[in-house]
Amino acid sequence: MTHGKINNLLKEKPIALELRKVGKVFRSDTGPKLRALENVNLRVLQGEFVTLVGATGCGKTTLLNLIAGLDTADEGNLCLGQGLRFGDNIAHVFQHYTLFPWRTVVSNVSFGLQMRSVPRSERQARAAKLLASVGLEGFEDAYPHELSGGMRQRAAIAQALAIEPKLLLMDEPFGAVDDSTRNELQEMLTNLWQENQATILFVTHNIDEAIVLGDRVLVFSERPGRIAREFKIDLPRPRDRMAKEFTDLFIRIRTALSGQLD
Amino acid sequence: MPRDAQKNRNLWRMSRWLGCPPTGNSSEIWIFRIGSPLGWIVVPVILLIIWQIAAQWLNQPWIFPPVSRVIGQLVHPFREHYASGSLLSNTLISLLRVLLGFLLAAVAGISLGIAMGSIRIIRSSLEPIIEVLRPLCPIAWLPFAIAVFKRGTLPQLFGFGYTRTVFDQVQLGMVFVIFVGGFFPVLTNTLDGVRGVRRNYLLLAQALGAKRRQIFRHVYLPASMPMILTGLRQGLGLCWFVIIAAEMLPGAESGIGYLLMYASDNAAMDIVIAAMLIIGSIGAFLSLVMRKIMSGLVRWHGKEI
Repeated sequence: MTHGKINNLLKEKPIALELRKVGKVFRSDTGPKLRALENVNLRVLQGEFVTLVGATGCGKTTLLNLIAGLDTADEGNLCLGQGLRFGDNIAHVFQHYTLFPWRTVVSNVSFGLQMRSVPRSERQARAAKLLASVGLEGFEDAYPHELSGGMRQRAAIAQALAIEPKLLLMDEPFGAVDDSTRNELQEMLTNLWQENQATILFVTHNIDEAIVLGDRVLVFSERPGRIAREFKIDLPRPRDRMAKEFTDLFIRIRTALSGQLD
Repeated sequence: MPRDAQKNRNLWRMSRWLGCPPTGNSSEIWIFRIGSPLGWIVVPVILLIIWQIAAQWLNQPWIFPPVSRVIGQLVHPFREHYASGSLLSNTLISLLRVLLGFLLAAVAGISLGIAMGSIRIIRSSLEPIIEVLRPLCPIAWLPFAIAVFKRGTLPQLFGFGYTRTVFDQVQLGMVFVIFVGGFFPVLTNTLDGVRGVRRNYLLLAQALGAKRRQIFRHVYLPASMPMILTGLRQGLGLCWFVIIAAEMLPGAESGIGYLLMYASDNAAMDIVIAAMLIIGSIGAFLSLVMRKIMSGLVRWHGKEI
């Protein structure tokens, strides 16, 4: 029996990404070795929205960089699911420096298409469509410095979606915007995810955000980074922050995190 | 919100043409743009009056000619002097030499700067040589350049021989010295610009699927454009310095620097001063043009996010 049939029998979606015993050590010339990641095991299914919470500097960004192919692991295996390729259909949204300051918004969004030699008129049209879907119509010719922080992150999401990613990696993308903007962006991202069927791996240090967005919340331990706990979020979307289940989960995740901090 | 951003955008668009940041204060914009009448009219006129009075009082025009005689030269730019051409023709010859040498310097300096800034082995193998050649005054290259290129001119290089045009005055040795003058400012500024490119932009481009070659063209080049333009402006200024000095040396036969020297040998101080005014004005004009190009091309500069 093939792998696909087993998956069907188990009524499970195919795997988008699997990490087995992944480790990463940073060596500097002067300082001591730094174990950033140790024994990270992770399986993400296609179409899943997984959020990763953990303290700042616990290796979450390193993990995303490994998955994005921007860095290489020292130990363990990293398997991408069928059809996923580095530098092709894996997109990355960063917290800072998300847009090229010398390009207009529309030309930022079409950057990935330009790298793939898509004709100019087609990429302009696709970028304009994406900008409309993130609520930025009318800002095509603006430069990033003319936008607010929230608008920049909207543009960054459109920029990532333009390459039609199967896997979207997001590294604290809403870390630098104020609370109400953050809520708007979370709502928009949830809608986009439901429309596009992409797999999302979302890193944050905000527990509330992790619960609002994710199908699953993974709690990351401090240095060396490991996945310490996993919480399944079965709440219907859009999620009600005031619901008892939500607040219970919040407390449990918070406890798990502070257990790691001790 | 959209209306605000639209307004903001218009303000920036306007400021690009005005060449100054949008302050919202229109009077400030005007002073910045045209300059205050104090500096452009009042002070120069006072100086000219003092000059005229002093020159008439001294009455030694071969040392200190009156303004009227200098202006007399400036309003007749086509007048031939001692069979060595007019103010205008010699100025054009100098400009042609400078533009040619500067273009070569710009292309070479930008390419090598990007290569050195982004590829470590190129940088480490060339840096010592460049550090030694850079502080060398470009004029010091002139004897060597003349020895190598003899009296070869641009048309001769392409096999045209003597063409009876202004191009016959473009000696390869002169162009080489101009090239040296412009090359190092362009190179060092480009190098600094490329080395200062944030790693985040490289990662972002890579994450969006850019290949190495595309990263040169779409990240290194635009990200270091402000520094490249600074280098070009400095380089062009230095080229204009160097050509005047080179033309004043023995062996030169044309150019505004040559005319200045020749007029001095003939005690025609009015022509000397007219040539000085022309050289200064052209230098200022070139600098202004470069500044204009700069503010238009890189209006994002200093506003990285």
